[in-house]
Amino acid sequence: MNFLDMRWDIVWDYREFYINGLWVTIILTICGYLGGIVLGLLLGLGKTSKKRWIYWPCKLYVDLFRGTPMLVQILIIHLAFIPAVFGQSFGFLVSGIIALILNSAAYNAEIIRAGIESIDKGQMEAARSLGLTERQAMRKIVLPQAFRRMIPPLGNEFIALLKDSSLVTVIAANDILYAAKVVAGAYQRFWEPYLVAAIMYLVLTYVVTKLIAYVEKRFSIHYNPRKKREERVAT
Amino acid sequence: MIKVDNLHKTYGKLEVLKGINYEVHEKEVVCVIGPSGSGKSTFLRCINLLEEITDGAIYINGVMVNDPKTNINEIRTEVGMVFQQFNLFPHMTVIENITMAPMLIRKMGKKDGENLALELLDKVGLKEKAYNYPEQLSGGQQQRVAIARALAMKPKVMLFDEPTSALDPEMVKEVLDVMKQLAVEGMTMVVVTHEMGFAREVADRVVFMDGGYIVEQGNPEQLFHHPQNERTKAFLGKVL
Repeated sequence: MNFLDMRWDIVWDYREFYINGLWVTIILTICGYLGGIVLGLLLGLGKTSKKRWIYWPCKLYVDLFRGTPMLVQILIIHLAFIPAVFGQSFGFLVSGIIALILNSAAYNAEIIRAGIESIDKGQMEAARSLGLTERQAMRKIVLPQAFRRMIPPLGNEFIALLKDSSLVTVIAANDILYAAKVVAGAYQRFWEPYLVAAIMYLVLTYVVTKLIAYVEKRFSIHYNPRKKREERVAT
Repeated sequence: MIKVDNLHKTYGKLEVLKGINYEVHEKEVVCVIGPSGSGKSTFLRCINLLEEITDGAIYINGVMVNDPKTNINEIRTEVGMVFQQFNLFPHMTVIENITMAPMLIRKMGKKDGENLALELLDKVGLKEKAYNYPEQLSGGQQQRVAIARALAMKPKVMLFDEPTSALDPEMVKEVLDVMKQLAVEGMTMVVVTHEMGFAREVADRVVFMDGGYIVEQGNPEQLFHHPQNERTKAFLGKVL
């Protein structure tokens, strides 16, 4: 293999596949992630519940989806679950998003549960002693504090999901990896198409890492926009 | 005002409270003393149902607290509580700590809430700290904010759970002074404490608990100078 003999032009010829793939990857990841946060929050809250009929289904769900490979989940959802329930397929995008939501929710649930449980019990007690309902105390006192602690692990989860989204190529979703496969298949050359795909994922994860760092700073207890404004006025 | 009727509390097989009967009258300051593990904190926490009651009943202004039909959240707005560990909300400024509950539950407007908070902060001597975060305050200051936070709901009773036990010695006085002022103003108070000086000076009645029972109770003069029970004598001998 001669490294100097790279033919980047073949990738360039297929640039529209890559750009389209980039969008598909971004849409899959963002939809999967947001859905996974919402479902994960419900499951995570459920796992902190003292009521058994709430706790056990949530635990079962998490164990099931963490204990099986995402690749298998994607295939079951696309080929078996959706056709069986709806009698037809809605395409790879719907199947892919559902699979990513269901899978990431299980991981998010654990992060959210651990975050909630890491908040000192006295916080809930103080809120309840003032007359807040459990729900109000959770929303106003516990979750805002727990959320700050959840940001780094939830960020990791975002990056993991971004990379895992490449598994949807197995149901012929045209994401970044799919573009690479097309080029590889057409030219029987493997370095160029897959390197480009790898670099695109790398750039995406880098952007996400920066985004997480910003969110982490923005939501740190010490960040106080009011103070900043006052300082600016003073100087 | 508060009536405790044959209160029992067990954790699994451990019986912490073995039948407490007591009554706190309006404008009365009651100090609860006793060795650690005697159940005095549990007793206090049962009053606003932070601990589930195993058996017996507690009435506040005639309403049975542990009746399943009672709206406990409503009762709790009338019963302020101050904790050993302060439990201020670290993600909120001092003033937000105080205005949160009145704005959320009493639907108080922001302006009114802030005026009330500043008034209360002035009372506990911390008006200039209104826009600081709790972690920027000393322990004594935090505890005074916690008192102001509880007062913001205009409670009819205040419960204090060892409010000075987590404080450095030089900060104990500033918190006790605020509590004394409250007592003078006629607040009904139940105080679990190790501060015998405070109990002697401020309490109308002192309750000595040991082993899950109220062993002895009376006015400070009786209890501290003429204790009747051997266990009371032994305990006071150690702490005075």
